[in-house]
Amino acid sequence: MNMFASCMITALILLILPIMLSFTKLYKNKLYPQYVKTTTSYAFMITMIPTMMFIYSGQEMIISNWHWITIQTMKLSMSFKLDYFSMIFVPVALFVTWSIMEFSMWYMHSDPYINRFFKYLLMFLITMMILVTANNMFQLFIGWEGVGIMSFLLIGWWYGRTDANTAALQAVLYNRVGDVGFMITMAWFLLNLNTWDFQQIFLTSNNNLDLPLFGLLLAATGKSAQFGLHPWLPSAMEGPTPVSALLHSSTMVVAGVFLLIRFHPLLEQSQTIQTLTLCLGAITTLFTAICALTQNDIKKIVAFSTSSQLGLMIVTIGINQPYLAFLHICTHAFFKAMLFMCSGSIIHSLNDEQDIRKMGGLFKTLPFTTSSLIIGSLALTGMPFLTGFYSKDLIIETANTSNTNAWALLITLVATSLTAAYSTRIMFFTLLGQPRFTPMILINENNPLLINSIKRLLIGSVFAGYVISHSITPTTIPQMTMPHYLKMTALAVTILGFILALELNLTMQGLKFNQPSYYFKFSNLLGYYPIIMHRLTPKTSLTMSQSSASMLLDSIWLESVLPKSISYFQMKSSTLISNQKGLIKLYFLSFMITMLLSLMILNYHG
Amino acid sequence: MSIVYINIFLAFLSLLGILIYRSHLISSLLCLEGMILSLFIIIPVTILNNHLILVSMIPIVLLVFAACKAALGLSLLVIVSNTYGTDYVQNLNLLQC
Repeated sequence: MNMFASCMITALILLILPIMLSFTKLYKNKLYPQYVKTTTSYAFMITMIPTMMFIYSGQEMIISNWHWITIQTMKLSMSFKLDYFSMIFVPVALFVTWSIMEFSMWYMHSDPYINRFFKYLLMFLITMMILVTANNMFQLFIGWEGVGIMSFLLIGWWYGRTDANTAALQAVLYNRVGDVGFMITMAWFLLNLNTWDFQQIFLTSNNNLDLPLFGLLLAATGKSAQFGLHPWLPSAMEGPTPVSALLHSSTMVVAGVFLLIRFHPLLEQSQTIQTLTLCLGAITTLFTAICALTQNDIKKIVAFSTSSQLGLMIVTIGINQPYLAFLHICTHAFFKAMLFMCSGSIIHSLNDEQDIRKMGGLFKTLPFTTSSLIIGSLALTGMPFLTGFYSKDLIIETANTSNTNAWALLITLVATSLTAAYSTRIMFFTLLGQPRFTPMILINENNPLLINSIKRLLIGSVFAGYVISHSITPTTIPQMTMPHYLKMTALAVTILGFILALELNLTMQGLKFNQPSYYFKFSNLLGYYPIIMHRLTPKTSLTMSQSSASMLLDSIWLESVLPKSISYFQMKSSTLISNQKGLIKLYFLSFMITMLLSLMILNYHG
Repeated sequence: MSIVYINIFLAFLSLLGILIYRSHLISSLLCLEGMILSLFIIIPVTILNNHLILVSMIPIVLLVFAACKAALGLSLLVIVSNTYGTDYVQNLNLLQC
């Protein structure tokens, strides 16, 4: 039992070590990236020990280190929760990060600030570890904000580029909107349950939990790019490919899903929030899958694929299966990071070309990248007995056999087939056919750094699903019996997506590109959501405030209300009802005659 | 005759003058002023003779209204004179030029 705590703390301190040494001469060393990479690999191997101890004995541990402060009746201390979720996620995250660090030693090797890049990656990893192992909401929030800040710094890595700065700012703003939800939850827990510790929250919560759970859902929407707060994720592809592979596919964007998974005892009690989660995830997964169909940038397609899988995870939480969602997080990390690394390899080989319309014919020239891209795409779509199958197929089966919202289920199935469609599109355009890039490029993938890193994730993509799902303790009972058509649904829609996309691509190969239809424009411009939200809302509020500040008092109350309105009204009505001919003398004379007549009659009568 | 009788007679004569005029609008305005003047004489004489103290503010109010009236009438005259050059009453028709 002693090894459990000491190994985890050792691993965490090991990760902090290169950061602390960045004030020394080691940081200026050319081998600093190598040191960081080996540190991460050693941390991975050390954390495998507590993980295997946990799998064997099933015992969880909470390390409560340091009592920080007691505010009135609430005690805040630094505590680590090493339970099922964190124990399995930490080795997976460290493994993926190790591979990505080795990959970025190849990808960024010509960058003069590569040491700083690795320091940022490591700081991101540390804050992610803090987030995952936190036992109270305050520590989780530290990790939460930490990953947000590192995401900002890493997206804007090439800060000379305007688009990168805009994308980084967009990421921070959208995450901030989600953080408001987190604040609401923290405040509610503080006021009603007087604590931020998970154990006390789960024990003492028995009242109406809709408000804090809605706050958590909002936080997850912001961090995991669900529909409504999603545009930052495709824009975040402005950062270097290792950043996209680490942050925006495997690790940071699952923080929102991880938060919801952590609070699953509370989520089970509220039916409203579960339905809301389900519908939100379903909308996200369908919408981003539609948007992915017509994008031309390879990184954006993979980013939308990430967003779609995140929606699937949220759907899983919505049908009250947190353990399945967690399994999907762990398996998804492998093949998504590998997909990003393969696209990074293609981009670098083609001399920084990211448009798939200018790629092609890489099947024979980049064999290793080709095979890993194909295996990664197959794992993504849930081909039987690859990694994605163990989590994704289980999710679809459970959704099919549970008493749930039929519309959300249908949309999820459509999105599953679209997953196969855009994966086929990537493979078709980048790998098959004749080359469409300029011929004066040296295509070389023979670097051991690249090959080894992708190879590790390749083995993970093929075997990790089997290994993980047969090693972990059984949690919820999966559905054992169902009709054969329900069992085959996921496979059938995936094959349908593959065949349809392949047929369309092959048929339309030589034809002229006609004018884009409305559906194409909807899909290509991301459903018009960024265009509307980023322009219309600020313009409306600015116009309203300008008109109320400058026009309301001066030109309306002082000018228009009485003077101008009276004259305008009189003119309008007089032109409207004038049918006189202006015979003034006649009118006056008639008035005078009437008066004289009345006077005379009254005189003689009285 | 007493002063009130003369002024009453003058008021009605001026009313006749307002309603009957030949061409110039300004003659109507002048008779209006005359009517107001005669009314303005009648009222304080009546008040002072019959010791109606509380009504003594009426002549001042009348004066204020008379000033407004005269100003409005003169401004209308000026507008007509600006567009037509004279204040002939035959000019006030529906022609839009």
